[in-house]
Amino acid sequence: MSNPVLSLQAASLSLDGNAGPVSILDAISLDVHGQETVGLVGPSGSGKSSLLMLMGGLEQATSGKVMALGHDLTTMSEDALARLRRDHFGVVFQSFHLIPTMTAIENVAAPLELAGVADAYDRAEAELRAVGLSERVDHYPSQMSGGEQQRVALARAAAPRPDILLADEPTGNLDSVNGAAIIDLLFGLRERHSATLVMVTHAPDLAARCDRVITLTDGRIATTEAAA
Amino acid sequence: MSLRVAARFAARELRGGLKGFRVFLGCVILGVAAIAAVGTVRESISEGLSQEGARLLGGDAEIELTYRFATDEERAWIDNAAVESSEIVDFRSMATALDEAGEEVRGLTQVKSVDGAYPLVGEVELDPQMPLDAALSGADGLPGAVVHPLLLNRLELDVGDIMRLGTQDFVVMAALQSEPDNVTAGFALGPRTIVATDALANSGLLAPGTLFTTRYRLDLPTGTDLAATQAEAQAALEDSGLRWSDARNGAPGAAEFVDRLGAFLVLVGLSGLAVGGVGISAALRGYLAGKTEVIATLRTLGASQRVIFMTYFLQVGALAVLGILLGLLLGVGLPIALAPVIEARLPVPAVFSAYPRPMAEAALYSVLTVLIFTLWPLARARDVRAAALYRDALNQARAIPAPIFLVWTVVLLLALILAATFFSGTLWLTLWTAGGILGALFMLTLAAFAIRALSAFLRPRMRGRPALGWALAAIGGPGSTAAPVVLSLGLGLSVLAAVGQIDQNLRGAIERDLPDQAPSFFFVDIQKDQMHGFLARMEGDEGVTRIDQAPMLRGIITRINGEPAVDVAGNHWVLEGDRGVTYAAGQPDRETLTEGDWWSEDYTGEPLVSFSAEEGEEMGLKLGDQLTVNILGRDVTARVSSFRAVDFSTAGMGFILVMNEAALAGAPHTFLATVYSDQEAEAAIFNDVTKAYPNVTAVRVRDAIEQFSGLLAGLASATAWGAAITLLTGFLVLIGAAAADQRSRSYEAAILKTLGATRARILAGLTLRAGLLGAAAGSVALAAGVSGAWAVSRFIMETSFEVAWGPAIGVVFGGALISLLAGLGFALGPMSAKPARVLRSAD
Repeated sequence: MSNPVLSLQAASLSLDGNAGPVSILDAISLDVHGQETVGLVGPSGSGKSSLLMLMGGLEQATSGKVMALGHDLTTMSEDALARLRRDHFGVVFQSFHLIPTMTAIENVAAPLELAGVADAYDRAEAELRAVGLSERVDHYPSQMSGGEQQRVALARAAAPRPDILLADEPTGNLDSVNGAAIIDLLFGLRERHSATLVMVTHAPDLAARCDRVITLTDGRIATTEAAA
Repeated sequence: MSLRVAARFAARELRGGLKGFRVFLGCVILGVAAIAAVGTVRESISEGLSQEGARLLGGDAEIELTYRFATDEERAWIDNAAVESSEIVDFRSMATALDEAGEEVRGLTQVKSVDGAYPLVGEVELDPQMPLDAALSGADGLPGAVVHPLLLNRLELDVGDIMRLGTQDFVVMAALQSEPDNVTAGFALGPRTIVATDALANSGLLAPGTLFTTRYRLDLPTGTDLAATQAEAQAALEDSGLRWSDARNGAPGAAEFVDRLGAFLVLVGLSGLAVGGVGISAALRGYLAGKTEVIATLRTLGASQRVIFMTYFLQVGALAVLGILLGLLLGVGLPIALAPVIEARLPVPAVFSAYPRPMAEAALYSVLTVLIFTLWPLARARDVRAAALYRDALNQARAIPAPIFLVWTVVLLLALILAATFFSGTLWLTLWTAGGILGALFMLTLAAFAIRALSAFLRPRMRGRPALGWALAAIGGPGSTAAPVVLSLGLGLSVLAAVGQIDQNLRGAIERDLPDQAPSFFFVDIQKDQMHGFLARMEGDEGVTRIDQAPMLRGIITRINGEPAVDVAGNHWVLEGDRGVTYAAGQPDRETLTEGDWWSEDYTGEPLVSFSAEEGEEMGLKLGDQLTVNILGRDVTARVSSFRAVDFSTAGMGFILVMNEAALAGAPHTFLATVYSDQEAEAAIFNDVTKAYPNVTAVRVRDAIEQFSGLLAGLASATAWGAAITLLTGFLVLIGAAAADQRSRSYEAAILKTLGATRARILAGLTLRAGLLGAAAGSVALAAGVSGAWAVSRFIMETSFEVAWGPAIGVVFGGALISLLAGLGFALGPMSAKPARVLRSAD
């Protein structure tokens, strides 16, 4: 088997609460391999989103090791992490997190501009076309529906042709029709870019579309199941 | 009923503390404090001038005569009316001394010669300490003089040395530390020397026709009705040309100056309040935006629009009252606490205390401003519907509120202008200021829209430059803070730019342009028999390019067509004091007639006068009018036979009144000469003339210009302080805008970090955004300031105008810098926050 693109070794995360440190993740060890699709499931507060954030270097592990594409995320600076994400990651959130002051195409082009890509806007337009939003390129987030905003977020995540796609409950704020469409697009994009996908979800049917489903309980991995 | 419910809701909401209202409070406090402070200082000085009226005047009352001593009849009236009186003579002269090398050095001095009764009120302080009488009686057979330290220094004199005035030697007995009645002396070109009038008998300085002023100070019996005594004096000594002052207003010039400057500074302070208003409005909008859900919930539960409006109106009211009280405490407390420091710097007395008038003034302005700037946001909150629970309805509320609120806004604005007119006492200045502030606000609002539109237009054209692109997106995109930033920063900078430009232009006109056209010297009090020698000296000097000379008398216009002059021409400046009068046979070379004819050279008929055309028109004079001019205590009535165009702007010789030769030639008089020369020739001319003619006073124009420039600099710096407070309020508003915006910046920074932006790039974007907005505000402010300054220079000062680029560039850079400071201070948080936590808290 190839080297894992993501590897966590006894990674823990605790945050400061009013009554002292609160353990969010407890000694998680996990490998994710290239082009694999992994579903993270579990009850609310089990640590799924935090685990995803650790994988993307958006959160710093309190102890243990987090490796991505051969880089040790726990020893990297904030800026080095940003550059790594720019070149290799795409992230999709439940609340879309588009920049409200930028139009759809500007949001999608932002990571490409950061990477100094010459045809950033042509590529951004192509990505928006791919998610069915060619008519909405110059609209601001506030002028779009939730489903449309999430499609922009998907286009933005896919635009840099990432090696790893992280999706945090991408359909959590959407109705079932829009949700299904987003998931189709997400898996389609993953396929197109041959990317690894790690997705947090509450929906068992979505998780079932992944190669592997990991269930978290109280900050620990409870079970790991391969898809049927 | 609804009011009680609203009051309960308001009280519950205020339980949460002042969070979200700090900028609101800060703006109210600063605005109130600035106006209350200026008002308190102004009132303190007025009170000081009023309490010390008799001391400042040097007696209970004063009769001033120009160019002559009182007649026996006048003396008799004074002696009869007063318990004690004192005679003072005031004139300019040259003081001469020998330096260490035995060379003569000369300096201009303002001489006050006094009798034994001076001072009737107060004390003259001398160093070394001694009674004035003893000092003036002199030593070693020579009369004594007390001299201001500035002149002692200029002439290298010490106590015990000899100095000369005219042809009389004096012993310097002491340095003059202070004179009780100095405030009334007005604008003096030379430092003061005090001598005894008797000692001047052989000085040649008070010969008939020389220029001097006599002041008769009267110590009146206790309980004298000053107004009645004034009327009595004016009736008894009618047409004597006397000017009356009394302790009711001991230093009228100073009081008027302080009043005018105070009124002007309060009006500048109003611009600070307007900036504060922008901040108040922005803070309230931000607060109410966060309350949309609460308002919508209350609406769902059945709260009427009135209850909603009153709930937040009462909160605003409570906070405004708190802000006004704190502002008054600061604005009144600070001048009182700093009283010793301020008094030490003031040339006039002041009684520092908490005066109700300035407090009422500041409070009234603030209440009206708060109402004007909060009405619209409150009206928008009132329009929030229950449906807002499901969408962002506050942002969808109509931009223009219901007509009743528009009517109220206009009513409140008119009330503010009326209040400012009442308190400042000047309708036009108030209207100009109000117009200026409203115009600047309108211009800045338009500019903010334009900047947003331009940013949105440029954004797609800046592809490939992410930091600049984000900055433009933030300025041009939704939720932009361009409007409050440009408005708050722009208004303060506009005032500062206008003050800077006016100051530079006026000083430029005086310092740069005037010396090119102005004469080098004015020589005053040249006797008729000295003129030949004087002219010979000048004509023989190659460095002299032009000499103008004219007989010089001074007179007061007392009547026009037999009516008291003030009844006909009001308070025109020509009537305010004595004016130079000359006579001529032929028409002056450099002046042209605009109306009427010049008299023939040998004309000897009824007295005729040629009047300055511009002033004549302002006073409503026409050909054939009879002017009565009191010269040396005698009335000369002359018919206006022509009007002349007189150019006073070059500081050369120019007379309002020119009479025919026969009308005045018999009156004792001296000559005035202006000499235009190369700068290199000036020293020799000064030495030769003052040495040969000790009675002649030489006024070097360059020195006078320097002194006047110093006075202007003082005025400009007082105004600049006023503008600085406006700018400080603007800075506070900026900080408020930056603080309110911090959450969205953190959010934006977290997303950009997720997408791969480094901290340096994010910081570059934030820096560019703040810098661009600041520079834009500065540029608009510059345009507004330059337009205002141009209007003031062109229409009020009547001087030419050119943009002073130094201060102009300073304003644009200053704007960018202030905006950067406010913006970057709040950028550190977003820079260091972990993206996951920021994004999670935004969910």
